Amino acid sequence: MFIWVLFLISALLILGTSVAALVTKNIMHSCIYLLGTLLGISGLYITLNADFVAVTQIMVYVGGIVILMLFAVMLTGGKEFVSKGQQLLGLAPLMGSKSTYVFGLFGALVFGGIFAKLISYIVKLPIDSTEQKIQSTVESIGKLLITDHVLAFELSSVLLLGALVGSAIIARPRRES
Amino acid sequence: MSSENLDVFLPVVIMAVIAVVIYAGAIIASKILSNLNPTPQKQTAYECGEEPVGTAWSQFNIRFYVVGLIFIIFDVESVLMFPVAAVFKELNEIGHGGYVLIIFLSFISVLLEGIAYCWKKGDLNWVMSYQKNKSGVK
Amino acid sequence: MNSTVVSFFSQFEFFNDAVKSLSETLGFNTYAAVSLLVFLVAATVLTIVCATIGGLGTYAERKISADIQARVGPNRVGPYGLLQPLADALKLLTKEDIFPANADKFMFYLAPFLCVLGVFTTLAVLPVSSGLTLTHLNVGVFYIIAVSSLVGVGVFLGGYASNSKWSMLGGMRGASQIISYEVPITISIIAIVVLSGGMSFEKIVSSQGGLPHQWFIFHNPFTFIGFFIFFVSGLAETNRAPFDLPEAESELVSGYHTEYTGMRFALFALAEYVEIFVLCAVASTLFLGGYQLPLPETIVSKMPAAAVQLWQTVIFFIKALALYYVVIWVRWTLPRIRVDRLMSICWKVLTPFAIFNLIGVSIWMVVFKGESLLKIIFH
Repeated sequence: MFIWVLFLISALLILGTSVAALVTKNIMHSCIYLLGTLLGISGLYITLNADFVAVTQIMVYVGGIVILMLFAVMLTGGKEFVSKGQQLLGLAPLMGSKSTYVFGLFGALVFGGIFAKLISYIVKLPIDSTEQKIQSTVESIGKLLITDHVLAFELSSVLLLGALVGSAIIARPRRES
Repeated sequence: MSSENLDVFLPVVIMAVIAVVIYAGAIIASKILSNLNPTPQKQTAYECGEEPVGTAWSQFNIRFYVVGLIFIIFDVESVLMFPVAAVFKELNEIGHGGYVLIIFLSFISVLLEGIAYCWKKGDLNWVMSYQKNKSGVK
Repeated sequence: MNSTVVSFFSQFEFFNDAVKSLSETLGFNTYAAVSLLVFLVAATVLTIVCATIGGLGTYAERKISADIQARVGPNRVGPYGLLQPLADALKLLTKEDIFPANADKFMFYLAPFLCVLGVFTTLAVLPVSSGLTLTHLNVGVFYIIAVSSLVGVGVFLGGYASNSKWSMLGGMRGASQIISYEVPITISIIAIVVLSGGMSFEKIVSSQGGLPHQWFIFHNPFTFIGFFIFFVSGLAETNRAPFDLPEAESELVSGYHTEYTGMRFALFALAEYVEIFVLCAVASTLFLGGYQLPLPETIVSKMPAAAVQLWQTVIFFIKALALYYVVIWVRWTLPRIRVDRLMSICWKVLTPFAIFNLIGVSIWMVVFKGESLLKIIFH
């Protein structure tokens, strides 16, 4: 029962904020609607019993990446945050323009078809009255990271080092000579 | 005494709803109890008595962005370290503590090198200065 | 493993009997409805208690600062000035809600909401006692750090949306300060997770004992340093002096909440004071033994369950409020730190110390099998 309520809240939050992020003309508002979308995704992870991933989502995405995006938008010079309506090469839809709505409608039809197929599969499942017993995922993730995926674990630290060095080099002030 | 279904997350949702209720309640209460009388003087930004010049949404220094980038890297690193730290004690008691320690320390040392690099190259300074190139000429 | 208030109550006969009789009168299984009701009541009680502590925190700040500065502080409203926060709240309710003409309306309204949301959702896992905590999530301490980062977004939005240069500068500095100091906090928490074998608050508290020599702060020299790293970083994370540059009165005219009036400003302040309380509560749980009673296990097992829970709650609040007093004390003792030194303290002092702390604790776990220093010396 709680799973259904949380799923409904999260799904409505995700759908609402992602549509709003596409449709609004102001890029700062877009970043904030993205924050709402990421919070909704974290709620979906909770319904799937992935508690560690849900909290990781909040910590890395909401607490880090949204702030980084806001800083980046501020950095690009903020005279006008509102898009004026000039299209890029006439192809890509700009925020809030009519083509956004058209593409959105086509995308909704496609995804609606896929969604209907999934729903028809789910409602044909036999009704199970007992709730599943859940177990926390943190210990299993920890043990898998050390045994099966230890190479991925160590390589991810090298990847993070590369990202750190690369971003530090790019962001350094350079004298034009 | 443990609860084995997803009801453990119910208080989280309840507290989020309570936060919304508190905010909405405070705004509605202040709308009822206060008066609303906007004048142009009240609505200009406060600058210690001077008239504000221009808008505040100008381009900002890159140092804020560099701090954000370095923070993201360390954030992801600490998120990856959490599950390993959570099983450390359990595996230590069955004797595999040294193995986990080596894995853990090699993970941390790579990132320690990263912070050493950033420190040496001056990326952690608040006031960013131009870098000398190899021949020593600025 | 994951226990909640409801599963704690369901140990007792009276709860199960009440649910059974209610189901029989109403005709369906009312366990879910009763558990929802219990959760709602417990959450409301905890919110009211913490909001009151936040409000009394403003009063305590003024009284303690007056004591430190050799004056009297508020003493007119009520006995010893105790109703001062109520007077402040009523005043702020009746103030006009000024909305700056060029501000961004949506974000102006959203910023205090994000701060309030970020702080009040951390109350769901606050380890008040072993049974009366709302929920003992298995990712407890990790969840608190994650949700507190919403406050950073709220601070930035508050500064940005006001369209005032003071606010913008305060907001950006505040956001970068909050995200920087999350790194030493998280790394020192990982050290405690290594020592206690889990992220859940229940596990962390049960790995400690009630008496001071069994607390994690005296477990080994690395956790001793870790406590101070955690505490100092926590002060910076909540924008609390001496790290309060984003809201410095003498420099930024109240920084990111310059343009906020009335109830919105009150919500920013309430969120800040409750966040400080949560920080003190987490520090006392991780390092100072939490809600463990300072009595030997034999006596505790003979006490009735209600008394145990009551005394655990009292001990928890005593420890958290003692640390709260230290936080207020530090504010009125030390001068404010300049912004570049603030950042260099974080990245050049606290983070390397925290990482070496973590390495030290991990090596201690393997070499000494997790025994505390005092146990090794006195055996």
